[in-house]
Amino acid sequence: MTLDWSVVWEHRWALAAGAAMTIQLTVLTMLLAVPGGILLAAMRLSPLRLLRWPATAFVEFFRCTPLVLQVYWAFYVLPSEFDVRLSGFATGLLALTLNVSAFNSETFRAGISSIRRGQSDAALAMGMSSFQAFRIVVLPQAVKRVLPVLATTWVALFKDTSLVSVIAVSDLAYTAMQLRSRTFRILEMLTAMALIYWAMGYPQAKITDWIHRRMAGRE
Amino acid sequence: MIESLEPVLDNLPFLWAGIETTLVVSALSVACSLVLGFAAGLGRCFGPAWLRLPLVFYIDSMRAIPVLVVIVWTFFAFPILFGLTMTPIVAAVGAISVHVAASIAEIVRAGVESIRQGQSWAGLALGMSHAQLLRKVILPQAVTRMLPSFGSAIIVTIKDSAIASVIAVPDVIRHAESVVAQTYRPFEVYSFAMLVFFAILFPVARVVDRLYLRIGHRGRS
Amino acid sequence: MNATTDKAIRADRAAVPRLEFVEVRKAFGDLVVLDGVTIRVDPGEVVCVIGPSGSGKSTLLKCANALEPIQGGRIVFDGQPLPADAEGIRRVRRRMGMVFQSFELFPHMTALANVEAGPRTVLGMDAASARARAEALLDKVGLADKAAQYPSALSGGQQQRVAIARALAMEPEVMLFDEPTSALDPETIGEVLGVMKRLAEEGMTMVVVTHEMTFARRVADRVVVLDRGRVLEEGPPRQIFEEAREPRTREFLSHLEWTG
Repeated sequence: MTLDWSVVWEHRWALAAGAAMTIQLTVLTMLLAVPGGILLAAMRLSPLRLLRWPATAFVEFFRCTPLVLQVYWAFYVLPSEFDVRLSGFATGLLALTLNVSAFNSETFRAGISSIRRGQSDAALAMGMSSFQAFRIVVLPQAVKRVLPVLATTWVALFKDTSLVSVIAVSDLAYTAMQLRSRTFRILEMLTAMALIYWAMGYPQAKITDWIHRRMAGRE
Repeated sequence: MIESLEPVLDNLPFLWAGIETTLVVSALSVACSLVLGFAAGLGRCFGPAWLRLPLVFYIDSMRAIPVLVVIVWTFFAFPILFGLTMTPIVAAVGAISVHVAASIAEIVRAGVESIRQGQSWAGLALGMSHAQLLRKVILPQAVTRMLPSFGSAIIVTIKDSAIASVIAVPDVIRHAESVVAQTYRPFEVYSFAMLVFFAILFPVARVVDRLYLRIGHRGRS
Repeated sequence: MNATTDKAIRADRAAVPRLEFVEVRKAFGDLVVLDGVTIRVDPGEVVCVIGPSGSGKSTLLKCANALEPIQGGRIVFDGQPLPADAEGIRRVRRRMGMVFQSFELFPHMTALANVEAGPRTVLGMDAASARARAEALLDKVGLADKAAQYPSALSGGQQQRVAIARALAMEPEVMLFDEPTSALDPETIGEVLGVMKRLAEEGMTMVVVTHEMTFARRVADRVVVLDRGRVLEEGPPRQIFEEAREPRTREFLSHLEWTG
């Protein structure tokens, strides 16, 4: 077995572009999924059934089906049934956004609900308005609980972006697997793919640990 | 939208075979990852330094690498490296188990560390060995706390099994793809596949939610 | 019958102390907690250790059964220094009983199972004998009817009494009490001190770290005052509580009296 790592170096720019696409997808998805999650959480906490039930159904659906299948579904069904033609990138982004929004809504809902009633009672008793009580007392505490979970969701999202490769979106996974087929250097390419993900993901995981530690200490 | 359920009904036996494969891959992955992860977690907590350090590295690395990458590498690159062949199902189960076991190990570690030091002192003061302390005092309390997180990890494992279709494991997604290619009805067929997973995962998710509620009410030791 | 003089006579006759701290030094990193502590406990003696917080009292007890390592000096149990190997330490621990401030009952076991835990797991006793011993001990501490209850259903005082029974189940030669009543409601302190007093009268060697001065006055054979990691003063309770030699001792006691 002879190994030829030079292929990896030869195609470094293609791999870099793939990595950039991965990062792009992660950032864009999170930018969309945070407001999405807040919206869904608000709907789930609403007293109106009309808002609560669709939101709950949405969240349960996206939590109880695999993301890869959601990606396939979006890619094949949107054009054929709904006449919506999106690029592969947009389709992937859509599936990821909806999926992560569902998870974020649980994070936000739990974070807000977990603040003891007594806290908002105390704030209202001091004469604050509901909005002030939320903004000054509940929200900062909720942020402290929500931030670590969001960080963990971010890292999971970073890994999940690799699934858009199944619909030929040129992220790192797709690019590396294409190069593997073209160059026939399977072991080298696939190992390089793993190592690049590792190099990007490991620091993210460590930062997440740090966030968990910082937020936990202040309780 | 749904013109008829024909595409699904006509191909039901074929789709069912795919569902069976999905169930097998899921079940095997859950079992292997729990065993591996528990061992890794205990090794990481109590093992000698030469065992702990590689385990920590392994656990942290699996947090950084997507399961798709591990599956693909296991099926295509591993055989080249070690000169053996493996079927897609073996590769999938192995890769998913190794990947999820890292999270299980972390759950075990968190559970064990959440038991107050006083409990260890009480057991040691009675003259227990560390093994006895672990078996009789620490683990019984810790495992109860770990259950909800194990439940979440099981859900992740079942979803990961869907990714096995990428290396041509003949699961429900692969079979659905075949049926779509023949019938040109992606909506009905893929929706069916979605419903299958939902039917499996929804009850599991409810049990996990219930576990989180019950464990939350337990006092700390 | 004067229990105190009886024990005093017994103590005088002892050739080999049951437990000895000899110039024990202990530090957590840079923080020196015990700075050359020497205390001798004879068989049948009840020694109460008192002192301001931060004086190192709790740490002292945890060094006795090697739950905490020491950096200097030595601990001598029954004439032998504490062994260095794990198996040796375990054998020594079986002969010492420890009761913790936070009780530390095993929450996943009933009261009976807690008391059986030592004999069954550590001594390898069979189920029937362990059960008989446990039931007898629970009866002795007045909790025979609570045998099937879990710790969460018991009051603090009841939990602590079960903890004492658990320690006694190993038939120790010395009992170490680490502020046994500090975490209890005032109403339940009495029931625990009552059990401890009976133990003392039966001749158990006891080292008790405590804030309960009335207990120390009535039950102790000797009181040791620890301050900032050193033995400030020691002597019979009468001496310490009424005719203390050291000004800091008097200061500490008067402060307690005032707040107590």
